Amino acid sequence: MLRTLVYLDADLASSIALRYACQLTRVIDMKLHTVHVEELDQDGHAPGTGWVRRTWESAMLKTGEFEIAQLINAEKSSCPMLGSPKMLVGDRENEILREIQRESYDLFVEGSLHSFTAKKLYDKIHSRLYRHIPCPVIVVKNLVNLEKIALIVRDEAESKKLISMFLKIFGGGKLNFDLIYCKFQEPGQLSSKGKADANGTLNAIEKILMEQNWHPEDCRTIKGTPEEIGDVLRDYGLVASSLHHSISKKSNWFQLLSHIPSPILIFWQ
Amino acid sequence: MRILVAVDQHPYSAHIVKDVAKLAGNTWADVTLLGVGPKVTDISRSSGHTEIKHPLSKALQNYRRNFLDHFEKVESPYEKRVCNHEFVEVKKGMWEELYVCRGARKDLKILLRSGNPVKEILAQSQENDSDLIAMGCYKAGDCQWEGAANLPQKVANNATCSVLVVKKEKKKISKIACCLDQENISQKSVEMINQMVTLYQTELEIVGLTDGTKLKPMVEKNLNAILKYYNARQIKAWIKLVDAASLASFISQEARRSMMALWMGEQSLLNKMFPRGKVDKLIRGSESSVLLLR
Repeated sequence: MLRTLVYLDADLASSIALRYACQLTRVIDMKLHTVHVEELDQDGHAPGTGWVRRTWESAMLKTGEFEIAQLINAEKSSCPMLGSPKMLVGDRENEILREIQRESYDLFVEGSLHSFTAKKLYDKIHSRLYRHIPCPVIVVKNLVNLEKIALIVRDEAESKKLISMFLKIFGGGKLNFDLIYCKFQEPGQLSSKGKADANGTLNAIEKILMEQNWHPEDCRTIKGTPEEIGDVLRDYGLVASSLHHSISKKSNWFQLLSHIPSPILIFWQ
Repeated sequence: MRILVAVDQHPYSAHIVKDVAKLAGNTWADVTLLGVGPKVTDISRSSGHTEIKHPLSKALQNYRRNFLDHFEKVESPYEKRVCNHEFVEVKKGMWEELYVCRGARKDLKILLRSGNPVKEILAQSQENDSDLIAMGCYKAGDCQWEGAANLPQKVANNATCSVLVVKKEKKKISKIACCLDQENISQKSVEMINQMVTLYQTELEIVGLTDGTKLKPMVEKNLNAILKYYNARQIKAWIKLVDAASLASFISQEARRSMMALWMGEQSLLNKMFPRGKVDKLIRGSESSVLLLR
């Protein structure tokens, strides 16, 4: 059983992420764990030490606990397996990272609403948490039905690792997926073709998948700008891709991830 | 719901009548088709029958037929009334003969006014207490009416109710993008969006305006409620965050392919960006149709 950690704040993004994670449990054998970190003051310091600090932390936790409990209670009818969240105090990124390392989670899910500008996602990908996170991450940008996954492949060598990680998560599930190769080009020429266009990459990857008894419903090459391709991929309930931490903000690949309005699953290369 | 459709005799008006008929089919709205032209002078009366000759009269009659053609006769809420004297039980055991009209459950009015078209359209919308003024316009150029410079823009600038300006699209509207940055969202306007989504069979994108970092808590709460409302109605709704600083570039980019729907509340940044009198910029600049929610 896959152990998944869902990060929750008392906001819309977390509410969407929680609902989406509950959908995932219906198609993948996974157990959801939730966590919330009550942040220290803006300077990152708690007031005082000893009893003063403990009292302050406990008051903060109580407030946070109430808000998160409301969020979870709202979803409990559709997701009865949800347990009480783990409440932590401290720096958000450090605490999540420590929690993931301590409990060896297989997947991390958090909400981050789809944004017109790429900055938000870029900052997230380059955050300390994402640079050190040991497991794949689902960034839930919107609440969509998880009917079909798009597995985006770049080249054969990189994709072998991607596929092994993909199968680790979805291997026991019953999801339909398409294998997609993206080719970036000038605007206004969006096209979607079969396998032949991808220099044999799609064929090779499809073969690896079929050896594992996994059959993509469709294999195709989509040509267009990152924005155009992102729009096509909105039809999927999840878009899975590998990613380097060193990705630049202006790269087509990053722009594509930023334009996709559906949840994205990131496997770190 | 009360819809005022401002029309003239050109193809963009025929197009909006068809759209409004579909909308009225879903909402059972009271609909007024209004044409504004020169004063009616050529009137002939014979044996109790009055006939006028006016450049708009034929067009208005055609629009009425086209509007009604959208409905099955028996089902139509606009089907003509039949009035008769009938006995009705007003109390137990007591019957009274009343003049009872059966038939049309909703009004379809065809009106012809003369004068300044913008003023007359706005006056009629006030008289009707309209919820929505709907108009078509040429897609090419900057959304004009034949022989009435900037009419859709002027009406949109000055109307107190919501305004829909439909540009005849060559391709199907792929998305309706609704910008939301304020706390007061009326149920009516949420319903209106719902109707537009149904009418154009399209996806919905709810755009939340941020101050650069996050949404105002009340706006976020509203977004959540609206999202749940549409999800419950099986409407696919996407959320997108836009920084206030990027709003202009977002609108110019999005208006190329989506119908733009803007909540123009008093406190809204959109109202500051497109204050009364400057909405014409948006309507002229947008390649797609525009819905202003007030």
